[in-house]
Parts: sequence; structure tokens; C-alpha cells
Amino acid sequence: MFSADSSELKNRIYAYLGYHGAERSESTDSLIDESLEEVKKLSRFVYRYEYFDAPPSFLSKEPYLSYLAGSTGVIVSVTTIGLDIDRRIKLLSKTDAARSVVLDSCASAYLEERADEFERALPYSLAPRFCPGYGDSDVSDIRYIFDLLRPEKFGITLGANNYMLPSKSMAGIVAVNGAANMQCKGCILEKDCRRKKEGKKCFSEKR
Amino acid sequence: MLLGKKIMLFDGGFGTELEKRGLGGIPEDLNLTHADDIRDIHLSYSAADFITANSFGLNRLKYRGAYKIDELAIAAVENARVAKKAVFFDVGPTGMMLAPTGTLSFDEAYEAYAEIAKITRGKADGYIAETFSDLYELKACILALKENSDAPVFATMTFGEDGRTLTGSTPETVAVTLEGLGVDALGVNCSLGPKELMPIVERLLAFTSLPVIVQPNCGLPVLKNGKSHYSLSIDEFAFYAEIYADMGVAVLGGCCGTTPEFISRIASLKERNVVKRKAEKKTVVTSCTKAVTIESVRICGERLNPTGKPKLKQALANGDYDYLVGEAIAQAEAGADLLDVNVGMPGLDETELMKDAVVKIQEYVELPLQIDSSDPKAIEKAARYYNGVPLINSVNGDDKVLSAVLPIVKKYGAVVLGLCMDSRGVPKTAEERFAIAEKIVRRAEEFGISRHRVMIDTLVLTASAEQALVKETLRALEKVKTLGVKTALGVSNVSFGLPARGLLNKTFLAMALERGLDMPILNPLDGEMTGVVRAFGVLSGTDENSEEFIGLYKDYVPTASAAAVRKDAAETECASLHDCILRGFKSKARKSCESELLTRKPMDVVNETLLPALDEVGKLYEAGKLFLPQLVSAAEAAKESFAAVTERLPKGGRDKGTVVLATVKGDVHDIGKNIVKVVLESYGYNVVDLGKDTPPQNAVDACLKHKPIAVGLSALMTTTVPGMEETIRELKKARCSCPVFVGGAVLNSEIAKSIGADYYTKDALEFVKVLEKATGK
Repeated sequence: MFSADSSELKNRIYAYLGYHGAERSESTDSLIDESLEEVKKLSRFVYRYEYFDAPPSFLSKEPYLSYLAGSTGVIVSVTTIGLDIDRRIKLLSKTDAARSVVLDSCASAYLEERADEFERALPYSLAPRFCPGYGDSDVSDIRYIFDLLRPEKFGITLGANNYMLPSKSMAGIVAVNGAANMQCKGCILEKDCRRKKEGKKCFSEKR
Repeated sequence: MLLGKKIMLFDGGFGTELEKRGLGGIPEDLNLTHADDIRDIHLSYSAADFITANSFGLNRLKYRGAYKIDELAIAAVENARVAKKAVFFDVGPTGMMLAPTGTLSFDEAYEAYAEIAKITRGKADGYIAETFSDLYELKACILALKENSDAPVFATMTFGEDGRTLTGSTPETVAVTLEGLGVDALGVNCSLGPKELMPIVERLLAFTSLPVIVQPNCGLPVLKNGKSHYSLSIDEFAFYAEIYADMGVAVLGGCCGTTPEFISRIASLKERNVVKRKAEKKTVVTSCTKAVTIESVRICGERLNPTGKPKLKQALANGDYDYLVGEAIAQAEAGADLLDVNVGMPGLDETELMKDAVVKIQEYVELPLQIDSSDPKAIEKAARYYNGVPLINSVNGDDKVLSAVLPIVKKYGAVVLGLCMDSRGVPKTAEERFAIAEKIVRRAEEFGISRHRVMIDTLVLTASAEQALVKETLRALEKVKTLGVKTALGVSNVSFGLPARGLLNKTFLAMALERGLDMPILNPLDGEMTGVVRAFGVLSGTDENSEEFIGLYKDYVPTASAAAVRKDAAETECASLHDCILRGFKSKARKSCESELLTRKPMDVVNETLLPALDEVGKLYEAGKLFLPQLVSAAEAAKESFAAVTERLPKGGRDKGTVVLATVKGDVHDIGKNIVKVVLESYGYNVVDLGKDTPPQNAVDACLKHKPIAVGLSALMTTTVPGMEETIRELKKARCSCPVFVGGAVLNSEIAKSIGADYYTKDALEFVKVLEKATGK
């Protein structure tokens, strides 16, 4: 059962909402609590993966080589919390835009937390997850992950521009016993990144 | 064919067999590169009656190999022929999400499957469309296969452990939709093991009389040495296959993890007759996620009809679907079970409008829809693009109408509403109306539409003009019920031309319900009308233990307005309109603004209260003292207040100009654009929202039509920035001279400049500021 520390989850939600030091209002806080409950109810969490001793060939390039340096294997995974959340966010965009914005952020944060938790329970020592599109990696590499795992069999689809639907889905790799050399270098937002200015990173570092 | 009489078998997993032989890469390519191996696998499944060609990913949207689709398709069929059994061409999903959720159009999906059908027509013995998660994509596939070949079509979907497909369809919705579309067998494959699929199969069997197929995985995957393996033994699989045979399943086979040994082990089942069962014949209409069975009384919302509704007329004329969607959501929230959609207006293309309206409403509202038109072309188009089983309103006793509409009802598996009238008009007596109802039911059955898919409306005439005929309507209703069909009435017609219409409507509704009315068509926002329906549930005993009634009315206060009112959470007392906006209290802001307007001039309220409040919100946001949700709430509160002001101004009295907004082609992330929209509207701009995945031409057309003061484009992904650039190029080419604003996570001012945009703004508030400066407003 999902047991992520809710204060930590909330910090992530505030970060997604663009919170940068403003005083947290009671009403937003309770809106987040309500939205998080709604996300938990609507979520249909699926995590599928394959373990590879030798990385599949699409990972034989930077930045994956650096990320995987020293690792003894790699997990290739896809995960989603389903389409019901997308539907609800969409409906709320017509009836209650503020709630829609909050639900969207809650859903993103919840997916990350559920995926982290799933990975923590695996019998490996894992580095933080790395998804195509992070740093200067090519987002179209998601296609290789789809070729390997065929997630369309359980309803995760990939559009012509390499975005996944349901929108709260991730496709990525996780280094086993690796040092996980993640970096901001090469990222399209490197110059303007507010998180970087605040000394934070967009990718998960906690294990 | 023995289908449905004797138990028949499909083959089992293919991937496992390829793996055993060390074959990787694109599986469909192996039909040419390793034909002998593929034939060996097919041969090993000779115990089956149906051999599935190795063609799962073979459609132009999914296949990315180097060969031509037609040569692979033909090779796949020829390879499968080696087993000397019926060869079913395997048709899998495109791997893309259909619009409106995704960007793949229904027509593109249809074309991809039509191509397959044309290539294999006369070559394959049938088609098995399998492993679909999206009912809408499967509908496109089935239509393409049936319209482009004559062979049988089987269709199976995958379900999660919660008993729904990933797009949210239930077994009931799947069963009635697929049966309606005329497949030859339907069922479930992949997903889970045979044990876990059992409740899903039970539900399918209860809702279809067609042969049901079950092709489970070999149990649930378990992890062994880092690799997933399927857990079920051959004996266990055979044990469950026996149970399925006893339940009435007609076709068995295997999916992931099953091998030829599994199928050989259950071959003895082929001797057995399919267990006879009686699926219930219920009248069911569905959206993609929700099946509504017309058993107890169901409320059909009548408000999506332009007759007598100038705002809806105006919205339809402007192509503004927001208004339509808003009305649909309001009715859904007020407790409607399905919604009538009528967009007939002189001078507008009803066929296109009806299709667009249906698709747009289905994007937001999960209720089934009633397609209400007298134009068979509009009905057909809407039924084709509808996701689920629609109710078609209507046919009548006129032969011409019956011949034009019933084939559409049959083809798309709809439920049809028949009106008790014909070319001579509405007959006076109940007996004459009953005769028309009988004729409609008979003609429907001649077209292969069984009577549980027919509903009858005995037609309400106004008491003011035809007082004596009110009771004829009800007598006809009672008689029609003896035909075994469900009934509908447009209740409020009864009171036209009389005072206290509400009183008459409610009384008539209660009378009709007592005589057996199943589906009143009424305004669900009228809480007293829906209240009659709920109260009837208690008094007639259909609302068991009054559970629904108590749930809805436990806090009922008789003096309160009966209209459905949404409660805004946490709306505590606000001192003033200014305060309401700052704290983002929508309803309170509107009420407060309305009371201000009793004593102050509208523009004074705008200039002295609303704009200063918004300025303060902006400053607090920029200072980091408010953040995104609060900004959006404040904007919504201001928008509500502006709406109250605008109602008191002459037309165009506070027109700050129009802004066209769109998320560009290929991008479906529209939350940022939606925030910009709310904030712009809060400042009094008129926004034309083109939605997401907007083709450049749509942006150009909107600019030429609405002559905006600015265009705002958003993109969230690097891969869609070229789409943004193309849109800007097309706008300039079409001489749309207004400035183009761009925004989105992957943009900055440099990128904006390089793609020809006039302004990059980092958020909604900056958009407004720059716009106000640029336009001098």
C-alpha cells in the first residue's frame, strides 16, 4: 500500500505549482489535501519493467552512458496512474480552474512518489530514475522503451511527438548499483531554470 | 460454421515461442525473414480451430520496419495457412491515443485499418481485433474491417484488475457496444490470468448473446532472477478452461505465456456444445465509460437544444462549444442520466455541427447522449463518431423516415426513439398512436434491431390547445408498454400557453411516471422536476429503502431555492467585493458584485473595485506572496464579477477585444493555455479558445473570422516547437497582422524570436501586462 510521507509529497506538489517562498495559505493547503485524496481515488497505478544485465543498444550513447557508468544492470520501465485523472483535470478546467491546476500538480507528484516507492521495494540498489528528455537526452528514445515493453498492451500510448497518454505516465531507465551521474548540462531550460537558480533539480535524487 | 454451437479454440502465445527460438526484432518482419520458424510455430498450434496470423503490429501507424505492409500481411496469412485451419488476421491497436484525448483522428485510425482490410480481403478467413484498451479505437477498427471486407470480425479487449479497460470502459459497455457494431464474437484477451478474468467474463456473458471469447494470460507474471515469468501450470490452465466452458464461453485460447501444450491440453473441450445461456435483453445506452440501463426512471436532460435559447443559438453560430459543454456539465452535475443534443438551426451545417458537438461533449461529460435530429445525414455522422451506444432521436411511422434512419441504427448499434406520429401528423387516439408504435417496432425488427433497442415516445400535446388529448398520451403510453419497449416523453410540452407551467409539468410528470414512463425528457436544473422523479422512486418502491432519496434530500430545506446550487468550499464571510476577489471566492464575488451594481454604475465598479483588486492580486503574485492556484481562483472570481457587470452594459460596452488562444499542433498539454484564458477573461478580454492540438489552418481561420488583437500559442514539448513556428508562418502568410504571443515550458525569448513570435511571456500575468502595453488598453 502506498505510504509515501505526505509532507514530502506536498513539498513536491508545491514545487510543481511554482511555489517559491510564498506564504502557504490555509485554503490552498486544504485544496491540495482534497485534490490528493481525489488523485488517490482516481489513480490506477501500473508499473511494468524488464531487467537487463547488459543495457539495450539504444542506451549506448550519452547521456545514458554517463548515467549508467559503474552500474551492473539496468531496469527499463513504464508507469502510469491512468486516464481517469486526465478526464477529471479536463472537466475541472471548465468548472473550477484553480482546482484543475492543483489536481494536475498533485497527480504528477503522486505518480513520481508511487514510482519511487515501487522501485524502492525492488530487490536492487537503484539510482534515481532517468527518463528520455531529461538533460540533453533525446525524448524520442521513449520509442525504444515502447518497443521493448509494448505498453500499449495495457493502454499507455505514444503520440507522433513522443508524448505519452495517459498524460500522467513515465517511461525511463533505472541504473542498478550505479552512481547515477545526472546533470543539468545540455538541458533546454539550463539558462532560465528557476529550480536551478534555487539550487534544486527537477530529477529525483532521493532513494 | 460451428461458432456458438461447439466450443472452438484459438491458438496461444506467440512471443514466448519466438523467444524460445531466439528470434528478436520486429515480430512482423519475421514473416519474411524467418518464414520457416513462423510456420513451425503455427504448425505447433494445430490443435486450435483458429490460427492467428503473425500480424499484431501490422498497421501503418504502428509498424516501423523496412518492409511494405502489403507484402508482410500477405506473407503472414500464407505462413499461417500451413496449419490448415481457419486463418484469422491479427489486428492490434495503433499504439496511439485517439482524439479528443490524444491527437490521432478517428479517420486516421480508420484508414490504417481499412488499408489492412483491403490488402487481406478474400485472403484471410476472418479478423481478430485484440488487446485493445480503447473502445473508440476498436470502433474505428471494426468499422474499417466490416466496410472493407466480408469476413467475420472477432473483437477482444484488455481489462485491468478493477474490471475496466485502461480508458475506463466496463465489461457491460464493451459488450453492448461491440454487439451493436455487429461483430461475430467478442470477449477478453491478455490482461490477467484465467482466475482473475472470471468476474469480467461473467459480466460480458450477462450482457451479450454473441459468442464470447476468452484468451487469458498464463496467470500473473512473477519475477524470477530479474525476469518476469508467467506462473500457471498447464493443468491449472485446463482447470479454468473447463469452468469457462461451463459458464457458456464459446471460444477459448491463450495469450502471453501460454504455449502449444496449453492449447493441446484443452483440445478435448472441442467435443462439447456451447452451454446455452440467456443474456438479459436490456435497453442500454452508453458513453465510453458509463452504461445507463433504462430500468428505473432515467432523466434525459433537454437543455442542449437551441429552440428558445438565444445564448445557445449565438454560441452555436460562433462555433463556441464552451457554452454547449458548460450546459452539458451543469445538467450532468444536476443529476441527468443522459443528455439530448439538438443543434438544428437554419443556415448552419447541421451534419458537421452535430458531429462536432457530440465529440466535444463526450470529451468532458461521461453521460450517454441522445442524438436529436430529423436529418439522417446528421444522425449518421454523429452516430459514426460517437463513442459508445447512442440513443437516436428519432424515427416515426413514416416509411421514408424509417427506411432512412433504421439502417443507421442497425449499423452503429444504437438505441432508437420512435415517435407515435407519421406523415399525417400526431393521431388523436391512443389506439392510433399504439398502431404506429407497433409499426415502428415491427420495422425495426425487420432491420435486425430487436425491440429492447427501441424506445417509444407517445408524444405530449399542450393541454391549452388539446386538453382532451393529454389522457390519450398516457393511455397510449400504457398500451405501448405491452410491446415490451421502454418509453419517453418530452414532459414540459404539456403546459405551453398556460400560467404556472411548473405546477402543470410536475403534475403531468407524476401522472406519466405512474403510467409507466421510463425516460422523461426534462430540464434537470429544475430541482422540483427531478425531485418528482426521486420522490416517485420512493413511492413506487424502485428506490429501495429510499436510499437515493435520503442521500439527496437529507438536508433539504423547503424554503431554499429548488434550483441545483453548487456550494463553494471554504467560502467564509468576505468583507467586500475587493476581498472576495483577493481570496478567490467565485460565487460570493458575483453576489457581492451584483449588490454593488444596485447602487453604483457598472463602469465605476470595474474601474474603482475590480481592476484595483486584480492589480493587487498581480502584485502579490509577483512578490511571491500568492501563487498559482490563488492567482487562478482570484481570476475566476473577477471573471464572475465581470460577467455580472457585462449583463448590465449595452452590447460591446466593455469590449477590450478578442484574443485567440491555442495549444499548437501535436501538443495536448493545455493547462498553461487554460490558465492564460482565465486570467485574460478576468481582465475583460474576449477569448476564442481553439483548444489543443490545433492545426495551423484553424488558427489562421480563427484570426480571419474573429480579427483578434492578439494570438497566444502554447507548447510544452520541444518536439512541438516546429508546429508553433509553422503556425506563426501561416498566420503571417495569411496577413494576420496582430501580434503573436508564445509561452510554454520549452520556450524562452530567444527561441520565441527565432520562430518569428512577437512576444514571449513567462506566465499568464505577464501575458496580460504585455498585451495591455502593446494595445494601449
